[in-house]
Amino acid sequence: MLKVKPWLWALALVVFAVFPIVVSNPTYTTIGVFTLLFMACATSWNMFSGYSGYVSLGTGIFYGCGAYTMALVSTHAHMAGGEAQFWLVPLAGLVAMVVSVPVGAIALRVRRHTFVVITIALFFVFQLLAINASFTGGAAGISLPIIPWLFNYYNLPFYYVALGIVIFATLLSAGVRRSRFGLQLLAIRDDEDRALGLGVRVTAVKMTGFTMSAFTIGMAGALYAMFIGQIYPQFVFEPNFDITVALMAFLGGFGTLLGPLLGGLILEASQQYLTLSFSNGSLYLILFGVLFLLVILFMPQGIVPAVAKWWNDRASKREREPAAMDPVTGPAAIGANPR
Amino acid sequence: MNSSALIHAILDGILTGSVYALMATGLTLIFGVMDIINVAQGILVILGAYLSYTLSVHFGIDLFAGLIITIPTLFVVGIVVERLFMARLKGPERVSMSILVTYAIALVIEGALNMIYSINVIQLKAWYVNRSFLIFGIYLPYIYLFGFILAVVLLAALYVMLYRTRFGASIRASLADQVAAALVGINVKRVSTICFGLGIAVTAAGGMVYGATNAFNASTSYDLISRLLTIIVLGGMGSLGGALLAAILMVTLGDVVAVVWSPIWSSPTFFFVLVVVLSLRPQGLFGKRSARVA
Amino acid sequence: MKRNGRFFRALGVTSVAVASMALMVTTSGASSSTIAKGKPVTIGISLSLSGDFSSDGLAFKQGYELWQSAVNKSGGLLGHQVKLDIVSDASSPTQVVTNYQKLISLDHVNLTVGPFSSLLSLPAAKTVARYGYAMVEGAGGAPSVFQAGLTNLFDVSMPVKDSLVPFAQWIAALPKSTRPTTAAYVTTNDAFTEPQIPVAQKIMVAAGIKTKYNSVFPAETTDYTPIADAVAAAKAQVVVLGSVDVPTVSAFMQAFEQAHYNPKVFIATGGPDQGTQFSSVVGIKNANGMMVPNAWYGSATTAGSPAMVAAYVKRFGGTPSTISADVAEAYSVGQVIAEAVNATKGFDNAKIIKYLHSGVTLHSVQGSVKFDKLGENNNATAFTFQWQGSNFVQINPTSNKASKPVLFPKPVWGK
Repeated sequence: MLKVKPWLWALALVVFAVFPIVVSNPTYTTIGVFTLLFMACATSWNMFSGYSGYVSLGTGIFYGCGAYTMALVSTHAHMAGGEAQFWLVPLAGLVAMVVSVPVGAIALRVRRHTFVVITIALFFVFQLLAINASFTGGAAGISLPIIPWLFNYYNLPFYYVALGIVIFATLLSAGVRRSRFGLQLLAIRDDEDRALGLGVRVTAVKMTGFTMSAFTIGMAGALYAMFIGQIYPQFVFEPNFDITVALMAFLGGFGTLLGPLLGGLILEASQQYLTLSFSNGSLYLILFGVLFLLVILFMPQGIVPAVAKWWNDRASKREREPAAMDPVTGPAAIGANPR
Repeated sequence: MNSSALIHAILDGILTGSVYALMATGLTLIFGVMDIINVAQGILVILGAYLSYTLSVHFGIDLFAGLIITIPTLFVVGIVVERLFMARLKGPERVSMSILVTYAIALVIEGALNMIYSINVIQLKAWYVNRSFLIFGIYLPYIYLFGFILAVVLLAALYVMLYRTRFGASIRASLADQVAAALVGINVKRVSTICFGLGIAVTAAGGMVYGATNAFNASTSYDLISRLLTIIVLGGMGSLGGALLAAILMVTLGDVVAVVWSPIWSSPTFFFVLVVVLSLRPQGLFGKRSARVA
Repeated sequence: MKRNGRFFRALGVTSVAVASMALMVTTSGASSSTIAKGKPVTIGISLSLSGDFSSDGLAFKQGYELWQSAVNKSGGLLGHQVKLDIVSDASSPTQVVTNYQKLISLDHVNLTVGPFSSLLSLPAAKTVARYGYAMVEGAGGAPSVFQAGLTNLFDVSMPVKDSLVPFAQWIAALPKSTRPTTAAYVTTNDAFTEPQIPVAQKIMVAAGIKTKYNSVFPAETTDYTPIADAVAAAKAQVVVLGSVDVPTVSAFMQAFEQAHYNPKVFIATGGPDQGTQFSSVVGIKNANGMMVPNAWYGSATTAGSPAMVAAYVKRFGGTPSTISADVAEAYSVGQVIAEAVNATKGFDNAKIIKYLHSGVTLHSVQGSVKFDKLGENNNATAFTFQWQGSNFVQINPTSNKASKPVLFPKPVWGK
């Protein structure tokens, strides 16, 4: 396990907790809310895909289900916009979890490469259902109750609920990692057939990981819907979302605990900021693509393992220790790391 | 619903399906030989279409004649991309990494195309684009027929190369087993580079036909890539015959459902079929079970 | 793994540094409603300059910029020069929300105007509502937008639901000998198009026109051929197509031509109004006879329209017929804002909102504007336009003096 001293986690938590008080400008707190949502999604995505090696590009299914739960329940129950809606967030997580059972039952029948594409296919089935079914409001989307909070207060409750989801996702991910269950997921990633041979009930393990990850993503989707106040099927079931979340985990460090958090933080914040700064959309695309290529090519394992390796190499040189001993050199090694 | 509409839909499906087959063949070839999922295939098709556009509008070169220039151009683009980026991908997460790298490449190309050609949608023009001829009581557009012939010729050429030449034999050997191919003295690295070039080169032809039958801009690439990916998964990743069959099946099924039921349910039906097929045969229609690790 | 600890300790130190830097960032709220003499008035706009709505976004930008130079030439707003602060939202609602907060809280714009598309206008309007800002928009008139219960949202353009009414009434009023007897209705499942079709269909069915084909297709369709072929096979005399963009209309026209199907009347809810973007894609000959409902066209004589058209042609080239209606929609937003500012003698958003709700009649290149309590412009007259040769002309309502005779039946393709 990458050991991060507890006080460092506490410090990071304090930094995040005071952020909206220190930087109270709503633009930055808005970016903060979106960033936290993505950090939560990347972390829970990684808790299944990163640990098991099953790269899912159907994350949007659960995000969308969470968003629709929030929108449908709050409008049908004629809720007044406000704090009460936050109670629907865990409910949305549960709905996403329930949905993930049949989805997992279909998608997890196949092995990795096919799994990637079957999750994409299932994602599109859900998107099309949202657009075409009658109970979802169809293409016109759903407008959520208006929340009567002013600009200087509005973002704060969302920010802290989102932070709560991130903490929950991180604790869950760390807990899984330390548990026997987490080791079974990692064994599947290293060699599924061998894991099976060693008596790991692979289907049950994968299924459990998959549904756990859906819960948090559903909660994030619900919070997003409430924050934006208006959902359309093509925006909450968005293919780009699927890719972005996976990207964040890879960028930070696939299968690590800190990586997806860092990936989400860097990618979402910089993406929002870059789009804001470049009114020329095409230039922004090029810049983003190039940056992204550079990171992948120079830190193919992701930022956390690469930086950790660099840092340790330097430190070991100073201490005349052989750098080759460092365990954080590749994803396979990371997988083996916590044992 | 009359039977002529049904026949029409099936015919449309086969003709357009063949063009998708051509584009998907490139994708599946790249995956089969190199274990790379090239998400940039969609935007490269659009790049091919824009190249044809430039040649026809600014130089007055016929769309089909222009392929003599655009196909080699995209072949070179493929070689460069392979040498610059793909060759560097290593390690157990190579497949997933390849998705990320090609996605980043796609973003860069998309941005560049937006800047050069603007975001206004365009369509390729030629005398055969809007005209049609009567056959079996159905009006068949010339461009569909020409596109079909082009796809068949190129696919046939690809098959001849793969099954009748020495180089083709080394590609097939690499498709079957990279390690064994290397052991018998095949330069897998060189084969990979050329395969990537070939896989990209076909997008020039596919893009030209696509651009003549659809109005497009750079954002169109997202629709394309999701279609192409589902085709190669249905056919079995790495299977050339599977890509051909799956493309025609997918487009025809979509067209028939649109006519006999409702256009709304075209895509869901197709995805439903895909999910059912993959549940029964996880490796796709023609995929080899455990030809690759995992 | 003791050595890993070092790295994370360093990370911790870095986060503290970042936090202390953040401390230095000063905070600020919304802008005040008074502007110092000689300072410009800033208007914040988020536009889709990339992504799905980018082609409309670009036309909107042109419209806003034309209005800006016109108003600045005439001395600005209450003596202040107008500055536009345009940011791109990449057609994403997430970015729209961030963008309007940035425009108001960081750039301190004095006023905000709308993005393109019904899909983005609601998240945008809800965001600026928290700051008490008005949001005047030129596009986004889907019925669902006005059901959200916002009080700060105003759409200067025609509510889309009744767009096809003059067209349907014209068909119904044709003498029995020439009146078409069959019609096909096909629409994309979009919040903007879907509500328009049943309204027109009801009027036409009442006039005895039989429905031969009626279907909805998904917005993400890429291959329209089978749908278009099915419409062609129905051989209806009138085709009513619910579309939002040029590629859709172009695909149907191409498939119809290939099937040698020449409907007597072909109207599309969106696409043919895009000026040169439309005519260059489908070809000017094929455009001949195509109809579209809208509120504005290049030869309109409404308030400021000829001046805007002249400025457009001077700046971007082309002819009046090649100007997208989007340009006029954006320009109208500017005009309405200007009138409200002049009437309230300031840049106070609360006063502007109150004024726009007061039932006053305003003037725009698209005609007169009067908002109801939902922010819909109920004064807007729906027109139908038709491509005739290389000209884009108004054809109905027939009662309107400016309406030209209809080219009926539509010439065969390519003629």
